[in-house]
Amino acid sequence: MHRIIHLSLHFLYTIPIMNAITVDKLQKIYPPERKGGQLFTAVNKISFTLHEGEILGLLGPNGAGKSTTISMLLGVLTPTTGTIRYGKLDFSRHRSEILQNVTFASTYISMPWRLTVMENLTVYGMMYGLSRAEFVRRAKKFLGFFDVWSQRNKMTRQLSAGQVTRVMLAKAFIPHPKVVLLDEPTASLDPDIAHEVRRFVLEQQRAYQTSIIYTSHNMDEVTEVCDRVVFLRRGKIIAMDTPDNLAASISTARVRLQVKDGLKRTHRFARERGMEAKLEGREIEIVIDEHEIASFLNQLAKENISYTQISIAKPTLEDYFLSQSD
Amino acid sequence: MKLYRLYAFSLRHLYPLKRDFDLLSDMIYWPIIDVLLWGITSRWLGEASGLTAIIATILTGLILWNVIWRSQSEISRNLIDEIWNNNLVNLFSTPLTLAEWITGVLVLSVGKTIFTISLLTPIVLLLYSVNIFMIGWWLIPFFVGAVMTGWWVGFISAGIVIRYGPKVQTVVWTLPGILLPFSVVYFPLAMLPTFLHPISYLIPTTYIFESMRQLLLNGFVDPPLIVLSFALNIIYLILALAWFRASFRASLSLGLGRFN
Repeated sequence: MHRIIHLSLHFLYTIPIMNAITVDKLQKIYPPERKGGQLFTAVNKISFTLHEGEILGLLGPNGAGKSTTISMLLGVLTPTTGTIRYGKLDFSRHRSEILQNVTFASTYISMPWRLTVMENLTVYGMMYGLSRAEFVRRAKKFLGFFDVWSQRNKMTRQLSAGQVTRVMLAKAFIPHPKVVLLDEPTASLDPDIAHEVRRFVLEQQRAYQTSIIYTSHNMDEVTEVCDRVVFLRRGKIIAMDTPDNLAASISTARVRLQVKDGLKRTHRFARERGMEAKLEGREIEIVIDEHEIASFLNQLAKENISYTQISIAKPTLEDYFLSQSD
Repeated sequence: MKLYRLYAFSLRHLYPLKRDFDLLSDMIYWPIIDVLLWGITSRWLGEASGLTAIIATILTGLILWNVIWRSQSEISRNLIDEIWNNNLVNLFSTPLTLAEWITGVLVLSVGKTIFTISLLTPIVLLLYSVNIFMIGWWLIPFFVGAVMTGWWVGFISAGIVIRYGPKVQTVVWTLPGILLPFSVVYFPLAMLPTFLHPISYLIPTTYIFESMRQLLLNGFVDPPLIVLSFALNIIYLILALAWFRASFRASLSLGLGRFN
């Protein structure tokens, strides 16, 4: 019995992690006619993998190369060099076969506005070979989840930006794809709907082992949803890790004090030591190296500065993002 | 080539017909206005000149011109419609292949052309007593030749639009328009200034319209001219498809998302 368990565990440990996407030395240099008369390197020989069933965040400031990377992964932009493989298939040679299992949704791309929501979804459902009955069943399920089923017979142009985003998400998940590329899927949504979208994405990942690439400017969202993050800047990958590890690589913390006496002195005291300090009413927020917190508080005591409340915020992914942005 | 994708693509362009006056006016309104206008004009010309057959030659020419116009329009107009709707990325990030897109627009092109011609033929018969079926079996090569010309014109303008973007979209309407005088749709080649004849000789539809008039006025067709017309159409269609394919690839290197 012991031997059987041992063998089973050994088997588990040796299961290789399968890659849904393998990107190798991908590069995009735009020709002069696209970028103001000169060659422009938007993506510079990046390599990364998306594991099966993983949600991978693609982060970076504007112009980092996120959209260019997604466009290449969708086949609507030709890479200059490098390769993209979905599973074991080379994308450049098996485009149609691969895209049968890949979908996308973007806040910035709509659908034909002279078609109703249902007509648009029918076109895309049929494109992936769904039967009419199966398509209607799934459309009802997904549009219902996103609270837009009642809008199904409206022209797409009559929907709000948030409703279009939700219809796009339904479009992306109706075919039950193996890989989904989501470009800022919650950018135009109210917070409660955005929360529902995140919950939905996580459910889809767990239920169908869907592999997802996720871009967002909301760092809390990325921390909540993504297993790993690829951080891009000026077309290069500068970090690739879990959101927690990236945040932990930042040594600064935010100390917030409610000062009873000597608020201005505290502000001056912090600024004199080269710390970033911000006054908000009776409170002050100081950005400080984690290792210096204790000695800083000691020095405040020596200056007879007293405070009634203190909170120390650990570094977040947003802090990492800000530290890496220009 | 997957039939379900061709079906899905056709739905994309058939659904709007239920409610889009722009598209319906292209298919129904303007062709009928053309027939009414040219019918009255040709009747007046016929009565004034004493040459009554002129009515049949002008109206049959008009119907064949509509075949060219409709068949090119479905290619270039469909593409520009995807650009206007920011739908190129949606469309080409699905498994749809370029060959399927091309096949799809060709099928739609033939279908909508037949629809428009089916509408015009009885109107011409009822209002002006011109029966285009009096051409007989020659109608088939005339129709096929006109469709082929529409196709290569459509692929040339679609190639220009996909490569250079909507800033040059006027080519969708102006490029086929230039064929109108050089194809000698409404008048014999002899009426065209001599120095322009070499251009007309290079256009396949010149031989179709000249043959059509020859048949209606003199009762015979010169078959080698039809063969020449087909040969030119085949060459131009192959070149136009190659141009469109190269333009699509060039557009992919700039990114289809740049039109959004």
